[in-house]
Amino acid sequence: MRAWVNHPAVGGGPWARAIGSAVATCVGILGLTGVVLMTGYSPSPQGAWASVAFAQLVQDGGWLVRGMHYWAAQALMVLAALHVLHGAFVAAYRKPGEIGWWLTLAVLGVAMAQGITGGLLPWDQRGWWARVVEGNIVGLAPVVGGWLQQMMSGGPELGALGLARAYALHVLVLPIVLVGVLWARRALALRVAASSAPPATGTVGSRLASGLLLAAAVVLVLFAITRATHGAPLDAPADPLSDYPARPEWFLMPMFALRKFFHGAMEFWGTSLVPGLAAGYLALLPFVDRRDGRRAAVLLPVVGIFGGAIALALVAMRHDARDTGYVKARAKADVQALAAAKLSVDGVPPGGALEMVRRDPELHGRDLFDRHCASCHVLGDLGDPEKATATDLDGWGTVAWLEAMMHDPDRPQFFGRGPYKGQMPSVDARPKDKPPGEKWTPMVKSDADRHAVAVFLAGQGEPKPASPEADDALRARGEKIVSDHCTACHLYKGEGDDEGSKMAPELSGYASFAWIRTQVANPASAETYREKALDEAMKRHMPRFDGDLSAADIDVVARWTHRHSRETTLAP
Amino acid sequence: MTHESKREPGGRREALKAIAAVGGAVGCASLAVPAARFVLAPAKGGAEGGRWIKTVPVASLAEGEPKRVALIADHRDAWTLEKQVELGAAWLEKRSDTVLAWSVVCPHLGCAVGRAASGPGFYCPCHDSSFDGDGRRLTGPSPRPLDALPTRIEGGIVMVEFQRFRQGTPEKEPVG
Repeated sequence: MRAWVNHPAVGGGPWARAIGSAVATCVGILGLTGVVLMTGYSPSPQGAWASVAFAQLVQDGGWLVRGMHYWAAQALMVLAALHVLHGAFVAAYRKPGEIGWWLTLAVLGVAMAQGITGGLLPWDQRGWWARVVEGNIVGLAPVVGGWLQQMMSGGPELGALGLARAYALHVLVLPIVLVGVLWARRALALRVAASSAPPATGTVGSRLASGLLLAAAVVLVLFAITRATHGAPLDAPADPLSDYPARPEWFLMPMFALRKFFHGAMEFWGTSLVPGLAAGYLALLPFVDRRDGRRAAVLLPVVGIFGGAIALALVAMRHDARDTGYVKARAKADVQALAAAKLSVDGVPPGGALEMVRRDPELHGRDLFDRHCASCHVLGDLGDPEKATATDLDGWGTVAWLEAMMHDPDRPQFFGRGPYKGQMPSVDARPKDKPPGEKWTPMVKSDADRHAVAVFLAGQGEPKPASPEADDALRARGEKIVSDHCTACHLYKGEGDDEGSKMAPELSGYASFAWIRTQVANPASAETYREKALDEAMKRHMPRFDGDLSAADIDVVARWTHRHSRETTLAP
Repeated sequence: MTHESKREPGGRREALKAIAAVGGAVGCASLAVPAARFVLAPAKGGAEGGRWIKTVPVASLAEGEPKRVALIADHRDAWTLEKQVELGAAWLEKRSDTVLAWSVVCPHLGCAVGRAASGPGFYCPCHDSSFDGDGRRLTGPSPRPLDALPTRIEGGIVMVEFQRFRQGTPEKEPVG
């Protein structure tokens, strides 16, 4: 043992293979943490995000294992690139090192392929959209493009088979290739070193010590990064229908930036030929560099390739940072990622994380309101009061809202700017068009009565009346007024409308979740508003959404509207 | 007996070798063929034509104002079948008697196209392609206009033929 440790080492001093040792350490960490992660991962669109979120947020040590795996993967790519750069500068590609040089390039290629396949496995927004765009770029390739894209995606769309394929490549095929390449590289390096026998400047022992020291340093650095970032990023679950601002993995940002310079038919040059030429130049270095002394001319393109890639990535990132649309979309995606992560801790339904997101009022309901309701209605920060053409839903269904509305229904934030303007008379204000002498009796005799009606109606919208029991008498009084006086036009429990107006809504359950759901699906069902609500004469009336939105979506948007109309207050 | 093989160098041993080689080849092929078919299976299945999907009533569309509508139908992904889910979306716009429809999928690389920040037209957030109110490309890398989808009106309901197209090509090539 002692003899072996003190034996002169071949091929350079203790730090001669520092990058190689660091690469080997990263590969070791990746293999170990990878197998551990596999024990808690489900490679299906329903299970992938949920299992990764569970590992990251719930399972003991999950964030650490996942974080180490993620950061070791990023480090591997950086180290592999450094290895190439170092090799170019020390002319490692020269005879007899050509094959070793190509294997070094192969390590970088496989590391990037692992980054791409691994990035898809969490099945989150970032990974999914990056892969969709990358798949489409592959599809641009002549002749085999479309075929290759379908092979990668597992069909015309990126789906279950595409994920299973990425998984098989990532955990088995590519690791075997990577280890094979590294092993061949090392075997080759040892043989070359033994035959050319450069002056030994260290012993096996010192080499071993420096290698272990370096491995420990790599582990410590990755550990520190993992601790600081608390694991690896996880975006919201992949949603093919979202407006997600897709961006590639960081190591593909240079190609993303190139795309902005090449349009139309020229795009092929930007996406394939420029990076292809760069890779080709590096691969052909052993033939380009003829030892005739002009190293600068040989190395300049190498510096250009790496420097250019970094510069392009920085340009793209700066462009994004200044693009307010992108910054806003990214901020929204981050909010969704956080909300989805929080939601997942309580458990994900067997239908998967997307189902979880789609059934959550805060995550999806708000989005649906923004997309389908906010062009006419205002609620909270959604909708534009200047452009609104329907009732302002801030505080809708609360006592304060009902009292104010009953007094002055045609105020702009009630019915004043919509098609129902002039349909409902004030319950206690004398109509302006009534001649002064004519007899007129208000529907509600006092402010106290109006308050009683408002308390009663506000209770209709709550699953359980939130107000104290002392209000029971008030509510009973309100109910009596409603059934005695309001049913002249309104329905209450299906009865009423003596005048046959076929317009004024049902008041039982008014502004409750069930009422809103019915109203959104069909505003003329008679369970909320009635036949006349969809009348052609009612310009810009509320449309029915039951053909436009799925039943589940109507449920979710109704739940969000119900919750938030009660959490907001009537604008003064 | 132990010298039998030496006495017959071109006989039984060679025959056994040949049988082993043929058997091995047949064995490998009988594994390789189904394995290759399995792996290549998803590459099969090209364009199969669009599906007509019921969307919204014509009456719900305002003249000249694009509206994003969900395209809801059954979705099949390998072994899963989801009933009545959003397959995608389209921008619908009423122009007097007809309704125009454009897929929201950007013809460039497949991101979701939204309304332009100001004025008419559409914009893709991924690579900054912009399109005018008729779906024609104005700026950016998109190789073709927005993909128009055929529509027809049945009983006051807008029907849209949902179809995916290959991304990044100057011509519309249906896929899926």
